[in-house]
Order: sequence, then C-alpha cells, then structure tokens
Amino acid sequence: MSLIRPTASTSTFRALGLGLGGRGLHTSRALAIRASGVRRDATVAADETGGFKYIPGGPILKGTVNDAVSDLPASRSHGSYHWAFERVLSAALVPVTVGAAVSTGSAYPILDGILAVSLIVHSHIGFDSCRVDYLHPRKFPVIGPIASWILKIATGLSVWGVYEFNTNDVGLTELVRRLWTA
Amino acid sequence: MSASLVRQSLFRAVAKPSMLRASAPGLMLAQKRFASTENMTPAENIAYLNSQRQHRPNSPHATIYQPQVTSVLSIANRVTGVALSGALYAGALAYLLHPVFPIIDSAHLISLISDLPTWVKGGLKFLFAVPFTFHTFNGIRHLSWDVGKGLTIKGVYATGYAVMAATAVSSVYLAFFV
Amino acid sequence: MFKPSTTSSALRAIPSSSRTIASSSLLIRSFHATSSASLATPSENKPAQTKEFKIYRWNPDTPSEKPKLQSYKVDLSQCGPMMLDALIKIKNELDPTLTFRRSCREGICGSCAMNIDGVNTLACLCRIDKDVKKPSKVYPLPHMYIVKDLVPDLTLFYKQYKSIEPFLKNDNPPAQGEFLQTQEDRKKLDGMYECILCACCSTSCPSYWWNQDQYLGPAVLMQAYRWMADSRDSYGAERKEKMQNTMSLYRCHTIFNCSRTCPKGLNPALAIAKMKLEMATE
Repeated sequence: MSLIRPTASTSTFRALGLGLGGRGLHTSRALAIRASGVRRDATVAADETGGFKYIPGGPILKGTVNDAVSDLPASRSHGSYHWAFERVLSAALVPVTVGAAVSTGSAYPILDGILAVSLIVHSHIGFDSCRVDYLHPRKFPVIGPIASWILKIATGLSVWGVYEFNTNDVGLTELVRRLWTA
Repeated sequence: MSASLVRQSLFRAVAKPSMLRASAPGLMLAQKRFASTENMTPAENIAYLNSQRQHRPNSPHATIYQPQVTSVLSIANRVTGVALSGALYAGALAYLLHPVFPIIDSAHLISLISDLPTWVKGGLKFLFAVPFTFHTFNGIRHLSWDVGKGLTIKGVYATGYAVMAATAVSSVYLAFFV
Repeated sequence: MFKPSTTSSALRAIPSSSRTIASSSLLIRSFHATSSASLATPSENKPAQTKEFKIYRWNPDTPSEKPKLQSYKVDLSQCGPMMLDALIKIKNELDPTLTFRRSCREGICGSCAMNIDGVNTLACLCRIDKDVKKPSKVYPLPHMYIVKDLVPDLTLFYKQYKSIEPFLKNDNPPAQGEFLQTQEDRKKLDGMYECILCACCSTSCPSYWWNQDQYLGPAVLMQAYRWMADSRDSYGAERKEKMQNTMSLYRCHTIFNCSRTCPKGLNPALAIAKMKLEMATE
C-alpha cells in the first residue's frame, strides 16, 4: 500500500522555486509551504493502517502521538464512483418498481428482468456496506474475507436464480401479484 | 469576617521569617522533594504509554446513547433492507434447487398461501408491506439528502415523521385494501 | 425521546448582561421598597433539592476493577445550573478523586465534552434537569478508550485531524498583502469554522464507533470540507483525492447523530453531504 502521495510534494517542490532557481528557500512563506508538505519519515513511522493489526485494547502507537494517521490508497472505484453508482441505482429502482407494480409481469418480461437484477445488485451493495461496517478484515482477519466471498457467491447465484425464475416460472412481479391476491 | 482574620494570621505567620529570606537559597537547597522523576528516552516513553493504553476500557456506546429519530430511523432502514434482501436472496437461491425439489416453485407457494385464513394473510401482507414501504420512503429521503435537500435537524425530523406516517398509511392500505 | 430541541438554545441562555456591581447596588437602593421580592433569595433560605448523579468511574491505578457507576447526591439549591457546576461541586465537597476535563466553563474550549443522560454535549452548557426524582447519568464520550473516569483518550482524534492538513495551502500567494476573498466566499465557511473540536459529534456517530481507526468522523470531515470550500486554498483537488477510498469518508451513512448532538449548533452532516456531492459531480 502506498503511503506517500507524490503529487503534493512535487508541486510544493516546484513552488519553492527549487527546480527553477526562483525565490529561494529562506522566506517564511516558503518554509511554511515546506513544513506543510507530507513528511516522508513521519508517515512511514506512523503506519497505523497499512499492515496494521487491530488490537482490542487500543491502537499501539508507533512513532509519536503527534504523527498524523496515514492516508489510505486512493481509488475512485471504491470512492466517488461507487457512491454515485449506488445512488443512481437506488433512484432508478423507484420508477422501475412503480412501473412493475402497475403492470403485469407476463406482459413486460424485460421490465421484470430489469427489476429483479436491479434489486439483486442493490441488495448486494447494501449487504457489502454492512460487511465493511461490521466485519472488516482488519478487525476480523478470518471471518471478514470469508464473509466477502460468501456474499459475492450468494449474489452471483441469486442473479442466476432470479433469471431462472423469470424464465421458467412466472417472474418476480407476477409472483408478488399472485401472492398478494391469493 | 472570620475568613479575613484567618488570612491575616496566615500572612503574619508566613511573613515573619525576614531572617529566612536572607538564607533562602540555602533553604531551597535543603528542601526535600517528595516526587521523583526518571529519565526516559522517547522510545521508552512511547512504550510506557502503550503499556498503559492496553489496559484502558472502552466507554459504553450503544447501551447508553439516547435513541433518537436520527439513529433509530437509520438503523431501521438498514434492518428493513437486510430483511427484504435476505428474503429475496433466500427465494432466489431456493429456486435454484427446483430441479432437485420440484415442489419449490411459484404454484406450490401460492397454493400454500391461499389455504391460510384471511386474517393470517392480512397479517403476513402487513408484515411484508411495513419494511418494504418504510425502506422505500426512507430511501427517497436518503436520496433527497444526497442531492442536498433537507440537511438540517428540522428537515431531518420533519421528513422522518413524514416517512413514518407514510409507512403506516401505505402499509395498512396495501395489506388490507389491495 | 423524540424532542427535536435545538441545542443552540443553550447558547442563548448564557447571560450576556454586563451591568456592573456598582450600578446594580445603586438600583437596589433606589427601588428598595419593591426590590426584595424580585431579587434572588439568599442561599440559606432555599429548600434542599437533592438530585442523584450517577457518574462513570474507572481508576487506572486499579485497572483490573471494572468501570462502574458511582452515585452522588447534590443539593441543587446550593449548586450552579450547569452539569459542570455539579461535577465541580462533587469534586470539591464529596469526592476529590472524580476526574474530568474542563477549562473555560463557557462552551468555547471543548474540554468538558461528555455523555450526559444519553446525549453527547458540553457539561458547561448542559443545564441540570430539575426533576430530582430522576437520577442524571454521566458517561464519558462513547466508544473511546478511557484514561480515567470521564477523561477519554483523544489521541486518535487529533491524529486524524492532523492528517487532513487543516491549514491554508496555496502555492501562489499574492505578491503583496493577503489573500483576497469575497463576502460570498467567506459566507461559505460559516457554520464550519466555529468548530471547537470537542469530539461530541464524532463520538455520537455509530460508524465512528465501529471503524474509528479508518473512518475520520464528522468533526474531522467537516474541517476537511472547511478547507476544500475555502476559496483561498488551492489544494482542493488533492484534499478530495485523500477521501477517495472506502473508509475515510464513505463510512458516513447520513445517520445525522452528529448534527443532532453538536453543542455549538453546527451541521457536520451538511458539510459531509456537500463533500460527497462535489466529489461525485466534478
């Protein structure tokens, strides 16, 4: 896991005029900019998150108490893209569910299929969020990864199961309708 | 009144030794200290601190924190979501066993349900409608937060009560009038 | 349990009058005939109102003893109106070993943050409930490692605060003078800069309870956004990049306990929501 973020230090490097022989290093502003850069040794010494073993009695401090917590590696697919996808899917589920509720499943099998798969993916994201919150591998080194795999397998099998149900049986919308009016 | 007398007598007692003032440095050298310090390197220091930290208890949280509209509706959203998704997954996974157990299909399930008394059917529909409607309405509330609407305490409470009311009304309607 | 009472009302309750003692005694003498009925009664005449306080105790000198709730009875007629007054009275008169942090006694330093009757707040701003039939429960901030009694270990909180680099970063300072900022841009910082880092919000967040070491918590996240939103700061993109992972920001599920409990009436949930929206839409 990378702990050092090269972008900030290289831009401050240039800003200090070191590369261009500009203003020089001795103004207080330049010193302040340098002081605010990520200190290489501090982050390597205070590695609480990368390879950190969670100890129930409280985190063991490495380095000093004044070191900042180290940054986690950046990845948009785990960050803003995941968040945006989750919201877009949830928003799309509203019209799809309403549409499925007012139509019959047999008349619109494609809508039925979209509803079923969207519900499964929405459920997967929800379950995964619970897993990260409560069964994170750093606290549960054995159960955490097992839970992750169980979820992935269950989601895959459920998509298959829902496909089979929509194809060989009445489909999700029709099932709910018939159960509701049974 | 009495306090000032005490203060005056104390002052006199302390102010008396003008002769002591002359020998003050010598007096300080002879002064006993009852607390001792020991020299520690920074590494020893942090090791000592870490050994103390290992004994510290964790303060109570969920057991003592006041349940509020904010946290209760949030955990209810998660619980209803997990319950509904769990039922969906269970159904989907169960249907995968249809080739092995042909009894697992929609027709058998529907006949099983239709044989139940009306009040049981109504109760079961209500039991399913409440989490479904709550999760849906609360989900819309969540989406409105995500686009920046209603992000005040007043807004959270107002929409929270609205979601609870909408859940009650719609689940009764869906369970007993549809 | 569902009272949406705004905690900011506690701020308005702080007396702001600045009448001097000389002028008030002048007033007393001039309105002597009617004054005594309206003035406060001397403390010897007040009836005793004994309230029970149950306070969390743990002693690091006897670490094997489990933490427990200790009961203290305080006469409210001889005590100031705020929880901190009660705690100080207990420490002065009943039990000098009771340990808690405190400093300004006016809700600006953030030292006396603790959990009073189930809600995280500042003890100096929290009025004692006058209902003497109900004991008041005082716990330290939830899910924190306890140094002693009501003193939590805030080391990780400060380390997290340091990690977001809470200072202005701009590689092109103006050639002369200070950074200029419009009034509209300055308004964007209102509601965020006033944070006193008391940790009430972060320790009220269940996500922070479960994932303290990697989730930054509402206080730190609001300060991170405070610097992203500052027009004088040029490192907004890098600051946002730091949040692009599963844990630092995105463990927030808009539970809203943070804004509900903030003793200064701030809104960390709003700042976090704005941050998420900006990160997703740019």
